[in-house]
Amino acid sequence: MTDTVQSSLAETRAPAKVDLKTAVAKRLKARHAAEMRFRAYGVLAICVAVLFLGILLERIVHQGYTAFVTHSITTEVYLDPNRIDPTDIMGANYDQMITEQVMAKMGVAEDEYGTTSGEYKEILSPDLGFKALEALRDDPKLLGKKISLTSPIAANADLYYKGEISRDIVEADRNVSDQQMVWMDDLKTKGLVKGHFNTYLFTNTDSTQPELAGLLGAIMGSAMMLLVTAALAIPIGVGAALFLEEFAPKNRWTALIEVNINNLAAVPSIVYGLLGLAVFINWLGMPRSSPLVGGVVLALMALPTVIIATRSSLRAVPPSIREAALGIGASKTQAVFHHVLPLAMPGIMTGTIISLAHALGETAPLLMIGMISFVPGLPESVTSAASVLPVQIFIWENASERAFHERTAAAIIVLLVFMIVMNLAAILLRRRFERRW
Amino acid sequence: MKLYTRPLYAPDTSIGKPRDPSMTTTATTPKFVARDVKVHYGDKQALHGIDIDILDKSVTAFIGPSGCGKSTFLRCLNRMNDTIPSARVDGTILLDGEDLNDRKVDPVVLRARVGMVFQKPNPFPKTIYENVAYGPKIHGLATSKEEMDHIVESSLKKASLWNEVSDRLHQQGTGLSGGQQQRLVIARAIAVGPEVILMDEPCSALDPIATAKIEELIDELRQQFCIVIVTHSMAQAARVSQKTAFFHLGNLVEVGNTEDIFTNPKDQRTQDYITGRFG
Ligand SMILES: Nc1ncnc2c1ncn2[C@@H]1O[C@H](COP(=O)(O)OP(=O)(O)OP(=O)(O)O)[C@@H](O)[C@H]1O
Ligand SMILES: [Mg+2]
Repeated sequence: MTDTVQSSLAETRAPAKVDLKTAVAKRLKARHAAEMRFRAYGVLAICVAVLFLGILLERIVHQGYTAFVTHSITTEVYLDPNRIDPTDIMGANYDQMITEQVMAKMGVAEDEYGTTSGEYKEILSPDLGFKALEALRDDPKLLGKKISLTSPIAANADLYYKGEISRDIVEADRNVSDQQMVWMDDLKTKGLVKGHFNTYLFTNTDSTQPELAGLLGAIMGSAMMLLVTAALAIPIGVGAALFLEEFAPKNRWTALIEVNINNLAAVPSIVYGLLGLAVFINWLGMPRSSPLVGGVVLALMALPTVIIATRSSLRAVPPSIREAALGIGASKTQAVFHHVLPLAMPGIMTGTIISLAHALGETAPLLMIGMISFVPGLPESVTSAASVLPVQIFIWENASERAFHERTAAAIIVLLVFMIVMNLAAILLRRRFERRW
Repeated sequence: MKLYTRPLYAPDTSIGKPRDPSMTTTATTPKFVARDVKVHYGDKQALHGIDIDILDKSVTAFIGPSGCGKSTFLRCLNRMNDTIPSARVDGTILLDGEDLNDRKVDPVVLRARVGMVFQKPNPFPKTIYENVAYGPKIHGLATSKEEMDHIVESSLKKASLWNEVSDRLHQQGTGLSGGQQQRLVIARAIAVGPEVILMDEPCSALDPIATAKIEELIDELRQQFCIVIVTHSMAQAARVSQKTAFFHLGNLVEVGNTEDIFTNPKDQRTQDYITGRFG
């Protein structure tokens, strides 16, 4: 009898034991499978993201890298007293004079109607004429002497030299004629035209001539605007966050403010542009299309992000630090400024720099406040008209000349480099300051 | 059955037997006089009218089950409850005869007089030197670097940490061991020159050796300061304190000489608690 009891016990126990094991094993299998699946999704997602990013970068770099190389012409120019009236140096036709001199040097004969020199002029650059006039204006004694001038070659010629205008296209469909191609080849073999790194892109401001157009004005404009943005958004944003997080009573009003700040962070940027147009330009009469207005508008746009980032990094500081400071008789302000804020600094800086990088790339609100005008010179102050990098990209992309499109991609690369530098700075600052914790 | 009997932890028999003549007068004057102290957190009442006198130059231990309001009452003594928006404190607490909840009393000054050591060691993420020097700095207690060095050194010595850290004063305070950190925050509290030191479970995260060091330290500090300590260890309360107060569900059940509380409790609840029947 005891035997049967025991065997029945063993029977009832044994399957239970096996069941538990197999159940666990079964579930384990399912769990491993789920884990593998999830990992596979993750890897897939990253692959897709990297692929798109790669395509984007490839397109931009592919289109833009040629703009970092350009061709320029160097030639001796005889400031011919027969053609330049010393009393009226502005009145002379320098382009014609230089073109004829280059043609003579290259052995190209002028026809009786002057069409050949007209065509030849197209592959040189009007900048040569400006340079000659400038040299003469600086030093009138140069009249009758020979000077050496260098200037970027016409944009179409540059494109041809870079192999972007092919002979295979029907002559009527391209901007350069067969005859001009022959001349250009000749100029290159004679050593007058040379390819080199396109420094003009960084030393020139915007121009109607693509070969002369550079980003200096836009870079300066962006820098000024970013300074205005930072000068407004950082102190106001950090101050507001400090007050809300550390000092303000937690009541209905502060809750309402918090909700509104979070909502503001999601408002489309163009709305800020409309606000800027209505308030700063039309009502306060600030100068249109100036870095000042742009900076103020972008500061408004960056504020919610700065406040949110600052608040969350303040919240991440352990309360025990506040208690420690208060416990030995520090005032609330001392506790915040001596202990909490320094500890929150890496997070605040990261958030701030990233929101500034966003502001740097922002276009829509700037279009609303009229920052779309052609600005040929450098902005003198934050109140003068200026162009900024993203808007410059927008303007160039809408230009009709092909050479501008090449420069659009180059400008995008420059903008991307600035952003990468800023984000890198954010990471480095974070690393540096976190180590002190 | 009594789990904790006298010989096990032998409370300090020097109670009432002054170590130096100046103690005779001070030991009998209460540093704190609390009457009908009630604390609410929002709608929830945490303390139901506490009446207690806390003597100067002696150690008073608060014991009681978790959540009974020991920390809450301790935080009333230096108005740390002010920092909790939902907390409301009623009743009077006199510090040297002065109501510390009076509007005229600046909590900043009060907290300089009544220092606090928290349950979890919380050194600032700065150097050891800066940790100790912070209090004297903000209160302007040192006029020169030499004076500050002196304050830092003597505070660390009082906290019996000096020998371990004298050669690395300019290293991070957070890099010390838990027990060293706890002594560092005690040194930080001492450096301000307080009259009272409140300690909320200062040894709860420490090993027996570090605990023993801190207990020794408390015993030494008692000669200069009024010390209030919250502890969950009966043995510790018996070892370091002269007075013991037993809290239960927001009430002060019993307070008296530590010896009496542990050997001859008047209330059944105290008896049950110290013998381990609940809590
Ligand atoms: N900040 C707070 N907000 C709301 N309620 C609180 C707060 N702090 C404490 N309480 C409540 O007040 C009561 C007493 O808490 P207190 O921290 O004083 O207990 P304690 O005796 O120190 O317990 P322990 O021994 O676990 O530290 C508890 O019921 C607790 O839930
Ligand atoms: Mg507690």
